[in-house]
Amino acid sequence: MNTPMAREQSLVEAFVRLADTLVDDYDVIELFHGLCADCVALLGADAAGLLLTDQRDSLQVVSASNEQAHLIELFQLQSEQGPCLDCFRTSEVVMADDLARETRWPAFSARAHDYGFAAVHALPMRLRGQTIGALNLFHREPLTLSGGDLGVGQALADVATIAILSDRNARQRELLTEQLQAALTSRVVIEQAKGVLAERGALDLDQAFLRLREHARATNQRISELAQGIVVGTYDTTMLLRRPR
Amino acid sequence: MVDRVGLGRALTAALSDDGPEAALAVCRACVTWLPMTGASITVMDGAQGQEPVCATDPGAARIDELQFSLGEGPCVEAFSSGRAVLVPDIAEPGEGRWPMFTAAAVETGARGMFVFPLRAGASRLGVLDCYRDTPGHLDDTELAGALLAADAAMWALLDRLDHRAGEAGRSPSPWYDGSALARAEVHQATGMLMAQAGTAAPTALAALRAAAFLGDRGITEIAADVVARRLRLDPDGSWHVSSNGAAASAEPPHQRGDDEREGREDP
Repeated sequence: MNTPMAREQSLVEAFVRLADTLVDDYDVIELFHGLCADCVALLGADAAGLLLTDQRDSLQVVSASNEQAHLIELFQLQSEQGPCLDCFRTSEVVMADDLARETRWPAFSARAHDYGFAAVHALPMRLRGQTIGALNLFHREPLTLSGGDLGVGQALADVATIAILSDRNARQRELLTEQLQAALTSRVVIEQAKGVLAERGALDLDQAFLRLREHARATNQRISELAQGIVVGTYDTTMLLRRPR
Repeated sequence: MVDRVGLGRALTAALSDDGPEAALAVCRACVTWLPMTGASITVMDGAQGQEPVCATDPGAARIDELQFSLGEGPCVEAFSSGRAVLVPDIAEPGEGRWPMFTAAAVETGARGMFVFPLRAGASRLGVLDCYRDTPGHLDDTELAGALLAADAAMWALLDRLDHRAGEAGRSPSPWYDGSALARAEVHQATGMLMAQAGTAAPTALAALRAAAFLGDRGITEIAADVVARRLRLDPDGSWHVSSNGAAASAEPPHQRGDDEREGREDP
C-alpha cells in the first residue's frame, strides 16, 4: 500500500468488487465487511464502522473492522451524540481531525480517547435524497484527511449505498424499506450463527465470525446462507468447528 | 404525523396482556395510533400452515382468509420472502403481482396494504398485516411506527412460547424493550442459548425475554451475561448461573456492552 501504483491497483480492485455487486446477486454481509476492510486498507484508517438506519428513528451498527470501533459506535448510539449521528442527521461529511480539541461531543470524545482513537471522519451513505446511514473512519493519531482520501472514501460509500439499494424498480420508496430491513435481518442471522458456533466450539464471537467466513469461502457458499443453515439446524457444523490444520 | 409516545405506550401496555390478547392489543394499537383501517396477525409455518391469531375487524380477517385460500397476496409474499411488502394501492392497475387476490380484496374496500414479516433472525414466525381504505405511501413516521408495532407483534408471538414472560401483566413494571432487537448481543446470546438448550431461535429469544422479565432487568443485560458465559440455559428451560464466568469455555469470555452490565448477577 506504500507506493502510488500499488494503491491505485488496490483501489481499482475495490471498485471492481463493489461494481460486481451491482450486476450480480451478492451477500450484503460481505459487502458491509468489505467496505470497512477497504477503508482500513485503502485510506490508512485504523478502524472503520458502518451504521444503517433501522427506520425506527434509530441507527444500527451493521459492521465494524474491530472491537473498539464497534464499541465506540454503540456508545454514540447510546449517548445520542457523536460525529456519525451528526453526519446521518445532516447528510454532510463530519470531520473531527483532533478529538483532544473537540468540543462538539464531549462524552464521545472522552470515550473515543479511551479506545485509543484521536480522529474520526464520518461520511454519509446517501442516494437520491435519502440518507440510509454513515461510514466512520477512525484514526489513532490526529489527522486531517486529504481531499483525495475523502473523495475515495465517499466514492466507496456511494457505490456501497447503490449496491444496498440495488433494485432499480419503480417502487423506490417501498423497496428502500424492504431492502434495508432485509439487510438488517441478514445481520441478525449472522449474530445468531456466531452465538451457536461460539457455544459449540468454545470460541469467542470474533473467532466464530472468522470461522464462519473462512468456511463460507472454502465451501463456496454465501456467508448469509451458511449462517441461515447453521441457525435453522440444516447445516452440520462438525467440519467447520474442526481445528484448522 | 404519528404520535410516537402514544404508540409506544399502547405497545407497552399491549405486551402486558397475556397471549392472544397481547397480539390483538398490538393490532388495535396500529388502528388507533397509525392511519390504518384494520390489522391482523397470522402465525405461519411454511407455505401451507397458517393460523390466524387475531384481527381487529371482519375486513382484516377476510383479507387474511382470501390470501390463504388463494395462495397469493402480500402476506404470503412477505412470509415466503422474509421481507416487508408495502403496497400503496392494490387497486392501482399497474399493481399486477397478485391478480386473483387483488380482484377479491378490492371488494373489501382495502387500498393500501402493509405487511411486515415477524421473524427471530433465521426463524420466521408469521406476519403483521395492516390495511387502510385509502391509497398512499406510508410516510417516514408511519413506517417507523409500523415497524415498532411489528417488533411488538413479534414479542407477543414469542410470549406464546414462554408463558413466564406472558405473565408480565402481573408485574409492577410491564415493559416493552423495543430497542433490544437492534443489539448484536441479543442475537449472539440467542444463538448461544440455542446451542446450550437445543432449541430453535424463537424459543431461545422467548427465554431471554422471560428471564429479563422475571429478573426485572433489560433483555440486553441478560444477553450480555449469556455472552460473557455467566448464565446458561438448560434443555429443560431452567437457568444456570455460572459463578466464575468462562468456566465451560476454553476461551476468555467476549466482553461487549460493558456500560449496562453493572451490579446484579442473578437472572
